Amino acid sequence: MSRHDLFICSVGVVSPAGTGVERLVAALADPAWEPTVGLDRPDGPPLPVAVCHDFSPRNVLSPMVARRLDRPAKLLAVAAREALAAIGDPLPWDRTQVGITSGTWNAGTSALVDVLRAVFLTSPEEAPPAQFPSTVANAPASQLGILERLGGPNLTFAEKQASGLRAVIEGGRLLTHGRAAAILACGVDEADWLNAEGYARLGVLADAPGHTGMRMGEGAAVLILAPEPIGVPLARLAGWASSGTASEPWLYPDCPDALIDASRRALENAERAPTDVDLVLSLANGIPYLGGLELAALAEVFGDHRPAALSTNERLGEAGFASILRVAVAALVVAGRARPAWTPAPHLAAMGFPPVASQPRTALVTAVAGGGSSLAVVLTAV
Amino acid sequence: MSDVWITGIGLVTALGPDRETTWRHLVAGLSGIRPLTLFDPAGFRTGIAAQVDDTALPPVDTPRHASRATRFSLVAAVEALSDAGLPTDAQPRPWALVMGGGAAGLFETEGFIARRLRRGQQARGLTEFLELLQDSPTDRLASRFGLGGSRLTVTTACSSSTLAVGMAAEMIVDGLAPVALAGGTDAICRLTHAGFNSLRAADLRPCRPFDRTRQGLTIGEGAAVLVLEDADHARTRGATPYARVLGYGTTNDAFHMTQPEPSGEAWARTIQAALADAGIGPDEVDYINAHGTATEQNDAAECAAYQRVFGARLARLPVSSVKGALGHCLCGAGGIEAAITALAISRQIVPPTAGFRDADPACPVDPVAGSGRPHTIRNALSSSFAFGGNSGVLALGSYS
Repeated sequence: MSRHDLFICSVGVVSPAGTGVERLVAALADPAWEPTVGLDRPDGPPLPVAVCHDFSPRNVLSPMVARRLDRPAKLLAVAAREALAAIGDPLPWDRTQVGITSGTWNAGTSALVDVLRAVFLTSPEEAPPAQFPSTVANAPASQLGILERLGGPNLTFAEKQASGLRAVIEGGRLLTHGRAAAILACGVDEADWLNAEGYARLGVLADAPGHTGMRMGEGAAVLILAPEPIGVPLARLAGWASSGTASEPWLYPDCPDALIDASRRALENAERAPTDVDLVLSLANGIPYLGGLELAALAEVFGDHRPAALSTNERLGEAGFASILRVAVAALVVAGRARPAWTPAPHLAAMGFPPVASQPRTALVTAVAGGGSSLAVVLTAV
Repeated sequence: MSDVWITGIGLVTALGPDRETTWRHLVAGLSGIRPLTLFDPAGFRTGIAAQVDDTALPPVDTPRHASRATRFSLVAAVEALSDAGLPTDAQPRPWALVMGGGAAGLFETEGFIARRLRRGQQARGLTEFLELLQDSPTDRLASRFGLGGSRLTVTTACSSSTLAVGMAAEMIVDGLAPVALAGGTDAICRLTHAGFNSLRAADLRPCRPFDRTRQGLTIGEGAAVLVLEDADHARTRGATPYARVLGYGTTNDAFHMTQPEPSGEAWARTIQAALADAGIGPDEVDYINAHGTATEQNDAAECAAYQRVFGARLARLPVSSVKGALGHCLCGAGGIEAAITALAISRQIVPPTAGFRDADPACPVDPVAGSGRPHTIRNALSSSFAFGGNSGVLALGSYS
C-alpha cells in the first residue's frame, strides 16, 4: 500500500456544455440543463451524440495553428490552454520535463475515413498526405506536445470508455517514478459518424423514442498533475487501481468483480475507508446493464453507506474522454468550485444515493470499458 | 528498476510463424519482403511488403470474427507462454497485460468502410466494424488467457510496443503483478500502405536501413509477446531468462508530426533516460537494435542521437535494424525488436541489417552487414522513434 499524494493543480475542459470550466460549472448548477444532441452523417437521420456545437478555437489558437489541426487536436489544445493558463506563464517546470498522457476512444477516425474515401472512391494515389498523420490515435497528444513544446513522455491509451481514466492513472505512475515533473493528463474524443453509427448498429444508442441506451459525446478534458502543489490545487489524487475480467471487446463484463477490486484497492492506496467517501461520480451512461453492474459494485464496496452520487455521462455523453471529465468534475466539486444540482441516475436514486448537498471531501471515480477493464481513482480535498 | 526477467518469447513475422524460424532466417541475412498479396496493390505506388504467411501459422483457438492482428497476437502469446513453461489455458490469473496497438483490425474494417462509402446504410458488416477498436487484440488476449490484472493498450504509433514492454516491467516492479504479458501486434492494411506512400516515405524497392541509397521504409506486420516475470517468481519455479529488463526511457521531441528533430537532441534524452533508469553507462552498452526505418531523415537523426550519447565509441558499436528483413511492423515493431534484442543477448549474436550495402557518411554506425555476428553483449538497447515525436528506448541486460 502506498499513498500517492499527487495534486490536481488545474483543469481545462471543452465539453457539450461549452468551452471552459466555467461553462461546465454553470451547466452542472442548472438542474434542467441539456446539451445539443444530434450528429449529421452522410445519409440517414442524425445520431444521438452530445456535441460541442459552439466550439471554436478562435481567441485561443492562431488561425495558422488551427488550420493544421484536426478537430480532436483542436479540442485538446483549447482545453490544455485553459489548464496551462491557470498555472501561469512561465510554467514552474522545465518544459522538457512536462509530459502528456492521453486517453481516447475514437481520435483519428474522421481522418481515417477521409483517407479511405480517397483510396476506395478515387485512387490510392489520391490519399491525402496531410491527413494521414491525423489517423493515428496519438495525433492530438503529439500535436499538443508540439504546440506547447512539451518534451516529457507523451503516451496515448486506447481503452474505450475508460481511456481518460487510464490517462490519469498512467500519468500518476509516470510522476511517482520520476519520469516527469508534471503531467497533462488528457482525454479527447470527437463526434464521429462512423463510430456512432457502429454503436447504433450494435443497438446500444438511445437513437429512437423509447429506446434505452447511451448517447455518445465529444470533447476534451485536461488535468495538470504534479507531485507538489502549484498555487491552490483543486484536489489530491490520492489513490488509484485497475483490474480486469474477461469479456468480448465490445461487451461489458458479466460480473462486477473487477470494478469492486479496483475500487477497493484505490481506496486502500488512498488510505481511505469506504465510509470516508462522500461523493461517487457514477459511470452510468443510460445502458441499463451498466447501471446494474455499478449498483452491484457499489453495494459490495459501500454496504449501507450512501455517499452522494453525481451522474454526468447521461447528459454530457459517453466517450473515452468522459471518464477523465468525471475526474475533472469531482476535483471541481471537492475544491468547492462547483455545486452540482443534477440528480443521480434513477438506478442510484432508487437505492438511496442522494444528490450532492454538502461539501464533499473524498470522491471515488470509476470506469468500466467494454472488454472488461475496470479502473478507479480516489480524490481528496486539499 | 529491480529484477524483471524475460522468460518467454513468441513471434509472428514475415520471416516465420514462430520465434525460432524468425531468428534462424534473420541471422542468416534473409528478408521477408516480397510482393504484397493481402490485397490488390494495383493503384498503390509500391507493391511490396513484409507480409506474414497466414497459411504457415499454427492453429490457435481464435474467435470467429477476430482480426488478423488478433490472430497474430494469440499465436505469439501461446508460443511465449509455452516457452516460459506457463499455462496457456483461460484460468483466471492476476497477471498484467500491456500491448502496443494501432491499426488493430483495420484491415477487416476497411471492407466494411468501403461498402459503407459506396452503398450507404445498406452496407452490412457490424462484426468487421467492431474490429476497429484499437484495444480489441488486447481484450482478446486477456479473455483467452484469463488475465485479470491491469490491462492497457499503448498507442503511440511506432513506439507503442516498446513502451508497452517498459511499462509492463514497471508494473512488476511496482508489485502490481508477478507476471506480465507485453508486446504488440499490427497488420498491414490499405490505410497505412496508402498513407506512407502518400508521404513518399515508402521505398519502391525493399528498404535498406542506414544505406546510402535508402529511399524509405517497407511496411511490415507481425506480433511479439514477451513474458515478463518478477525474478523471484521465476526463480521459484525454476525458469531461466533470455534477458533482464533493466529500464526504459521515453520523451517527445515536440518537433513535427512526421519529421524527426534532425539534431537528435531529444532522442538522445530518451536514450539517456533509459540508461539512467537501467543504472548503466554508455560504455556498458554492447549492441543497439535501432529503429532504423530506412527513411533518409530517421536514420540520420537516429545516428546523430547515438553519436551524442556514445561519442567515438559509436564506430565500434554494432547498431542493426531488423526492418530490412521484417519491414516496419508499426505498432508491433517495438515488441518484435525487443524480442529480437533479448534473443541477441541470450545467444550472444548480433542480427544483421538486411539490405545494407553502402555506408552513408550521415550514418556513421556499424550496421552489421550480411549475416549475424557473434558478439559479447552485456547490455543492449532497443530503440523506437515514432510519428508525433514519441520515442521509447528499452535497456535489456544479460542474465549472467
